[in-house]
Amino acid sequence: MMKTSLLKVGMTFIVLTLAFAGLLWTSLQGGTEYFKHVDEVMASPAQWEGRALQLHGFVVPGSILRKPNSFEYRFRLEHNGSVVDASYEGIVPDTFKDHSEVVLSGRLVEDARPEGRAYGPNSYRFHTKRDGIMAKCPSKYEQAGPAKARLASRQES
Amino acid sequence: MAGLGSFLLLATFVVCSYAATASVVGARRGSRALIDSGIGAFHLVTAFMTVASAVMINAFLTNDFSIKYVAHYSDRIQPLFYKITAYWGGLDGSIMFWVFLLSIFGSIAVHVNRIQYRELIPYVVATIAGVQMFFLYLMVVHNSPFTTFLTPTPADGNGLNPVLQNYWMVIHPPSLYVGLVGMTIPYAFGMAALITGHLDDAWLRAVRRWTMFAWLFLSFGLTLGMIWAYEELEWGGFWGWDPVENAGALPWFTATAFLHSVMVQERRSMLRIWNVTLVIVTFFLTIFATFMTRSGVVQSVHAFGEDPELARAFTVFMVVILVVSFGFVIRRLPLLSARNDLDSWISKEAAFIANNWILLFSAFFVLFATMFPTLSEAVTGNRLSIATPFYNRWMAPIGLTLLFLTGVGPLLGWRKSTIWNLRHQFMWPVLTMVGVGAVVLSMGFRVWTAGLCFALCGFVTGTIVQEFWRGANVRKGATGSDWFTALVGLVGRNKRRYGGYIVHVGAVLFFLGCAGQSFKQRTELLLKPGEQTTLGKFTVRYDSLSVTDDGQKQMVTAAMTAFDGGREVDRLYPAKWFFHKQAQPTTEVAIRRMLAEDLHVVLVNFDAATQTVSLQLVINPLVNWIWIGFAVLAIGTGIALLPERAYSFATEKVSVARTRTRKTVYS
Repeated sequence: MMKTSLLKVGMTFIVLTLAFAGLLWTSLQGGTEYFKHVDEVMASPAQWEGRALQLHGFVVPGSILRKPNSFEYRFRLEHNGSVVDASYEGIVPDTFKDHSEVVLSGRLVEDARPEGRAYGPNSYRFHTKRDGIMAKCPSKYEQAGPAKARLASRQES
Repeated sequence: MAGLGSFLLLATFVVCSYAATASVVGARRGSRALIDSGIGAFHLVTAFMTVASAVMINAFLTNDFSIKYVAHYSDRIQPLFYKITAYWGGLDGSIMFWVFLLSIFGSIAVHVNRIQYRELIPYVVATIAGVQMFFLYLMVVHNSPFTTFLTPTPADGNGLNPVLQNYWMVIHPPSLYVGLVGMTIPYAFGMAALITGHLDDAWLRAVRRWTMFAWLFLSFGLTLGMIWAYEELEWGGFWGWDPVENAGALPWFTATAFLHSVMVQERRSMLRIWNVTLVIVTFFLTIFATFMTRSGVVQSVHAFGEDPELARAFTVFMVVILVVSFGFVIRRLPLLSARNDLDSWISKEAAFIANNWILLFSAFFVLFATMFPTLSEAVTGNRLSIATPFYNRWMAPIGLTLLFLTGVGPLLGWRKSTIWNLRHQFMWPVLTMVGVGAVVLSMGFRVWTAGLCFALCGFVTGTIVQEFWRGANVRKGATGSDWFTALVGLVGRNKRRYGGYIVHVGAVLFFLGCAGQSFKQRTELLLKPGEQTTLGKFTVRYDSLSVTDDGQKQMVTAAMTAFDGGREVDRLYPAKWFFHKQAQPTTEVAIRRMLAEDLHVVLVNFDAATQTVSLQLVINPLVNWIWIGFAVLAIGTGIALLPERAYSFATEKVSVARTRTRKTVYS
């Protein structure tokens, strides 16, 4: 009696675990994004082009440009000496400014702009998706309490 | 003063180690005197921590900037209230606050239970003191909040970040801490029961209330965090599956599971291993949550900084917890075997077991997803992040299944339900569900998760109303009182059961609010003065832009008028504030709150020359029901926590007619 019930529980557990592991695995394929630093991506940009990425770096001071009367932004992101152009359309969090440490969600695209463009040393541009900017500023990072500031997690809930 | 503080922490550590040792040795040798001295030392720890906290608060109040921590989180012009609350504003102070709370809870728990659970108390003291020693060790060796400057004392401090100077932010962390720290008490009793082998169901009675109390505050803390995010941040949402948010939710899942499964053990003496495991896992997750937010092991926008040394200390501590706790569980397995088997899968026990599996699965899913970036980096070398939609895709069906079980559980009987039972019990709730579903469909809602959620909310509401209705009617018949007194008496006689149902009402309201999110509307646009735009049923006109200064900050405010069907309904003033001491502006959201929906307006940007503003408008249907749901949940938990005598006026009331009858019989 004890043995059969143990067997039943064990079997149920194994079947459920396998089923969930399978589901998890399949749904993970589409649900994940690579988390990379700017220098890692820019070392071989062609490899990362078009893939869903979370790009980590610091906003180059003075690089944030906003097209007047629009929500379109251009800026540059730097990490370990490597720089990438980035574009964004939407609302930026308060914490997004010069020197901010940010994580951008989006894709690396080949920039269609012709030679002689206004700025940017390379021909790739990181296209940030809507609500794809998460920023923390160093001072806030230090001061944020346990309470933590959900300061810029701008994803839809 | 800093010297006194540091000394107190060191002294507390010493006293704490004595409390732990004396209790254990005393219990093993059967020496009452030694045990009592351990308990005395344990209370002395509380006294020391109280004095140390007073020293810390005094340092903030007297602007003692020679202490680094004070200089970092306060300044001279900081309002008094924020000076006091800056105590738990940073890493070091928050750890000290943690020990302070734990010492108070520990003292209360030990004092209250000292007679009834005499044989458990020494090990309860030892367990709590062990946990305190770990945190004290961190403070003494690694992160002392009383560290002073070696260089000359600065004239003024940095001040607390203005974004955190918000009343929600002031009560959110302590509330969350009370919840997290409170879970140590059930763990201590569970461990004491395991160590002594007194594994009858008595220890459960000692911890039930504590778990409920801690659970209430954990829920409160999580809700406050959501309200803060919704009100202070410009994204118009309240939950983003950020690692730090998830950390607080993990023990919540397992504690909720425990609050349900504990009933199965009380009624049927089943799930004994499971319950003790849940208590251990819940405690482990509270420590894990602290570890996650403080060691920098997961990337979060708002975790504390990276601290490998702290990470190592926590890792060792967590391994010790797991090895010792589960070591004792394995050792006591023979004493933990269930005294009954599951009779049928159509029974309350089975519903509770299903509910437990799902809650536990939720905890592990969230844990897995939160740790996934770290895990994937360790395994493949590539850091893979999980995006928010992935969480939602998984948690929506999980949440709906839980909601369904919330309705099913109360309808099933213990042991076994017959077909007649099922029909009798399920008819009205199912009819309510079908009715709500039909109404939702006929109104043209086409989001299936939300539609299903509404229908299930109807089902659960049907269940709860039916339980109250039938219970009150039976009692009315039995006591002869009026219906309302019967209802109050019913709740009073079964406070946990009916308090629990009220908690379920809160859960239903929470789910309603979440379902409303499927119908969220959002737009971003530029407006010139006098221009207007329409979103959903609202038309919003931008009137003017003004700049004012109150000495502390410059405020740029847009004046807006909201119309509903051509009628002016509200004036809204979204703003941007520029604090003179801070480089970064803060966004002040304007919200028109209604039960049906919120109109959430954000001033994103402005051009002072042309008076043009860029705005974000969000319509958030049903969002306020989430907060109302919490209030209802708190009332329900409060009823379940009430002492036995609270309702005596209703429970003892016997009708006049019956009194007379009795008199006639006996006279």
